Amino acid sequence: MRILSVDDSAATRHFIKKAIDVLGFEFLEAGDGKQGLEVLERENGNVDLILLDRHMPEMDGMAMLEALKANDLFKNIPVTMVTVELERDEIHKAIEKGAKNYLIKPFSQENLVGKIMESLNIEL
Amino acid sequence: MITLEEFRLIRDYVEKHCGIHLSDDKTYLVETRLTTMMFEQGCKTFGELYNLAVLDKTHTLRDKIIEAITTNETFWFRDLHPFTIFAEVMLKQYADEIAAGKRSKIRIWCSACSTGQEPYSLAMTFLEAARRTPKLKPEHIEILATDISSTVLFLGKLGRYDNLAITRGLSEEFRKRYFVQNNKIWTICDEVKKMVRFQKLNLQESFNHLGKQDVIFCRNILIYFSLEFKQDILKRIAALLRPRGYLFLGASESIIMYTQEYEMLRHAMGLYYQVK
Repeated sequence: MRILSVDDSAATRHFIKKAIDVLGFEFLEAGDGKQGLEVLERENGNVDLILLDRHMPEMDGMAMLEALKANDLFKNIPVTMVTVELERDEIHKAIEKGAKNYLIKPFSQENLVGKIMESLNIEL
Repeated sequence: MITLEEFRLIRDYVEKHCGIHLSDDKTYLVETRLTTMMFEQGCKTFGELYNLAVLDKTHTLRDKIIEAITTNETFWFRDLHPFTIFAEVMLKQYADEIAAGKRSKIRIWCSACSTGQEPYSLAMTFLEAARRTPKLKPEHIEILATDISSTVLFLGKLGRYDNLAITRGLSEEFRKRYFVQNNKIWTICDEVKKMVRFQKLNLQESFNHLGKQDVIFCRNILIYFSLEFKQDILKRIAALLRPRGYLFLGASESIIMYTQEYEMLRHAMGLYYQVK
């Protein structure tokens, strides 16, 4: 499995990488939506899940989600929108726009693994 | 901020569905662990989250609440004594029984295994004993590891640990002998991994289907249960143990007040229980 983390916080990407390393999955990263699309282009859309931060400079999570859904190569890659508390409307909007799941900051390693399992339909 | 009334609703709900009793000083725990879920579910209050869980016929939200509340603190060879006793008392007895043709299997159940440290520690203890006692062979032992959380079971089954998790209680010697290191990740070797079977289980539900066990580890979980549930589970564990089977509890737990079905024994500065 290949998981792309798109987040402007290097610390958050590092935390996510640690959990993904434990799972034995491949970790890809980008600092904003524009870079995230570049990574996907480079990888020919060969990514199994995108963990997409809602708030980022350049291109934010919602804009990247819209770009993904408008691209035939990327539109079927599941997206988990990463957001902060008190953004329920944002979560609903992201789901309406095609995000499969959501993860609220701050999250633990187990929260993250649980969401990855849900998003990738991994069962015990 | 959770209200006292909301806390009590959730406390009773959690106790009803997994037996864990949350004392009044756990208000903060409930609030911190369920706040994210409350927002995720589109609820404005913890009362709304409770109502949603009650109405959810699929039990998905119920399982998520239970998973968020249950704690997963775990170490390798936690408290050490149980593993010393397991090797010096139980495995010694079972090796003699195997040699005498009176036993072919040793069945162990870790009832709240979290991410696998306890069952894998037992498997390593067994392999260490087998190195000294050729009568013991890996095919003699079955270790069943259960937990209520799918996430921790998934991680346990993977058997992969980062640098922090690997150092908590595990000696360098065992790390080298039983793990394969790849950068910052340590993977448990196949020899240990194949000795443990992981399965999801809520201790509140019947566990008769697990079959008779020789030794049951039920450590650091009874403290979360109500008096009634402690009594109930200890009775059901006694029924699941083979005659004169053994029970291990957490270092701070005692069962004297709840049941008369076990005899408390001591070995190597540690306590363990034997069903009467």
